[in-house]
Amino acid sequence: MTAFAVTRASLTRVLRDRTALFFMVLLPVAIIVVIGVTVSGFDRFRVGLVPGARTGPVAQELASELRAAPGLRTTTFTTAEDAHTALRRAELDAVVVLPSGLDADLRAGRPVTVRVLVEPSGSAGHGAVSSVSAVVAEHAARVQAAGFAGAQVGGDFDDNLALARGAERTASPIAVRTETVNGQSDFLPLGYSYSTPTMLVLFVFINALAGGAAIVETRRTGVYARALAAPVAARTLVVGEAVAHLLLALAQSLLIVGIGALAFDVAWGDPTAAAVLVGVWALVGTGAGILAGAVFRTPEQVHAVGPAVGIGLGMLGGCMWPLALVPDWLRSAGHAVPHAWAVDAWTTLLSREGDLTAIVPELGILAGFAAVLLAGASLALRHRLTTHPGA
Amino acid sequence: MNDPPRKPPVLDCAHLVRHFGDRAAVDDVSLSIAPGETYGLLGPNGAGKTTTIRMVCGLLRPDAGTVHVAGAPMGVSAGPAKRLIGFVPQDVALYPDLSVRENLRFFGRLYRLPRRRLERRVDEVLDLVDLTARAGDRVDSLSGGMRRRLNIGAGLVHSPTLLVLDEPTVGVDPQSRHAILESVTRFGEEGMAVLYTTHYMEEAERVCDRVGIIDRGRLVAEGSPRELVALVAERDRVRLAAVGDLAAYAEACRLLPRVEGAGRTGDHGEVVELVVKDARSLLPDLLDLAHEQDVDIRSVEIDEPDLEAVFLHLTGTALRE
Repeated sequence: MTAFAVTRASLTRVLRDRTALFFMVLLPVAIIVVIGVTVSGFDRFRVGLVPGARTGPVAQELASELRAAPGLRTTTFTTAEDAHTALRRAELDAVVVLPSGLDADLRAGRPVTVRVLVEPSGSAGHGAVSSVSAVVAEHAARVQAAGFAGAQVGGDFDDNLALARGAERTASPIAVRTETVNGQSDFLPLGYSYSTPTMLVLFVFINALAGGAAIVETRRTGVYARALAAPVAARTLVVGEAVAHLLLALAQSLLIVGIGALAFDVAWGDPTAAAVLVGVWALVGTGAGILAGAVFRTPEQVHAVGPAVGIGLGMLGGCMWPLALVPDWLRSAGHAVPHAWAVDAWTTLLSREGDLTAIVPELGILAGFAAVLLAGASLALRHRLTTHPGA
Repeated sequence: MNDPPRKPPVLDCAHLVRHFGDRAAVDDVSLSIAPGETYGLLGPNGAGKTTTIRMVCGLLRPDAGTVHVAGAPMGVSAGPAKRLIGFVPQDVALYPDLSVRENLRFFGRLYRLPRRRLERRVDEVLDLVDLTARAGDRVDSLSGGMRRRLNIGAGLVHSPTLLVLDEPTVGVDPQSRHAILESVTRFGEEGMAVLYTTHYMEEAERVCDRVGIIDRGRLVAEGSPRELVALVAERDRVRLAAVGDLAAYAEACRLLPRVEGAGRTGDHGEVVELVVKDARSLLPDLLDLAHEQDVDIRSVEIDEPDLEAVFLHLTGTALRE
């Protein structure tokens, strides 16, 4: 009951603190939106399309197919110069220039070259060329079929092309699925499915750390010392604060999960596994928060150091960018912090439809982090309360 | 040094010792407080008052000695003893962002008061510290004096047997100080034992039944304010403005015990000045003697030493040093 009194007082204080609520609720959602939008573009190349002069139906069809290609985000330019400028400004990954008289050349059986321009420094250029090549090759196969039919049995080019289209539709397609593979993360979720869980990991931890300031403040008000003059053990105060921090971490997690599911259409995977992962991560955050409350001397220190440490660990642990993109040594170093294991677990749940058993190794390691942090934090806070109750 | 308490003591400290490093913050301090008694621990900053109080409240383990509250031993986790104590720390120890009522409820819950009793006691304490009208306001919106009163109120929610006040009037405006001292006097009258530390001599004289003077960790004297003043070797000076045969009266006064000197002063010899021990207890004898000798006493002035002088005498330093 006395621990509950401490929990209740701490929760009441946080819920009245508008700054804390901003960091708990609004900021994570804002960051999720920003990173979600940013990461959404990673699966589509930005391509500028310059239709040639004297376009016929074949060129128009190729342009339409380029615009409709799922891997490309196509913008049409009226002049090649404008497209080149956009490419130099890194507003595009590649520029596709359809040749003038494409239709006429094809009908005449002359070879046609579609030029794809990239900036040598643009890392996405070669990927864009591959995607454009795939679309052009598919279109060219159809044109070649029409040309072959005309050469063998005669007939009108347009009729033969329509015939080739029909044959293409009736033939069983061969699907190619592309995944980015490595030993640690398999393939990555994209867009909000990446930003929402990683921001959950990041912000629950940062807010828990920042919550340590409330403990430092309570220490300095002398309320703990006064409470210890009542029939209250130091461990009761520690438990009361820990429960308050845990409830706040869980509440923030549920908020992010709810907003992710409802507003950003994030599928959180197996509910049981997701719930266990949220709970274990909340315990990790709670341990970190209590530890901050025990070791720092002033709330200002917590506010200055806590978020910086939280962001640093988040960057190292793959909350800002996928660890699949970093060198092996950095990926290994990242797994020295709990964030990386939490992100790995979310990746498994969201991208590979993993269940509880699939994330048992990550959960075990996170539980270990939680146990060490909670034990250390409890001992440190208890020591602080009993030796320097008013400091 | 002092009379033992007549009733079983609420607080009994025996030979308390506490060192910080090589320095003895408290050195063999023993004191006891009876029910309804207000005991003042008087000493300058750093004398050992707060360390003594922390040991009394179970916040600090003594290196030696014992503390019993109504017979229950005090320790860091001594529930029964702690339940009887209301601790009011020197600095305001409240949640600044909770309301007045929420703070009182919080401290009441620490003592596991049942819900109904808690609500009743919170209302009573709000009335006692005159904060009923501000019950819903956040503590950080209160004036300094109000916070001090609430700080005391938080120590009263669970109806303690012993109220421990650590310099409750430091930094308080005169009006609030007066209210706090009035409250302390009332607590004693209502039967609560009070341990009150202060370095204000006038506060100790005003509210305390007994005073212990502590210096450099040692209790150097203990007794009622009057008893302590009587310890001082200095003598009182009594000035009697009178009409009659003052020469004969002065001569007769010299024969009284505790009168060490007598003579006539004033422009026309209209004042008899005496040097005596304990003027207040001697005054009735002086007035009787004047009556016997047809001397008409018009006014009496007594210059007597106070606790400040006592402290100076016992420790060689001023109280506020």
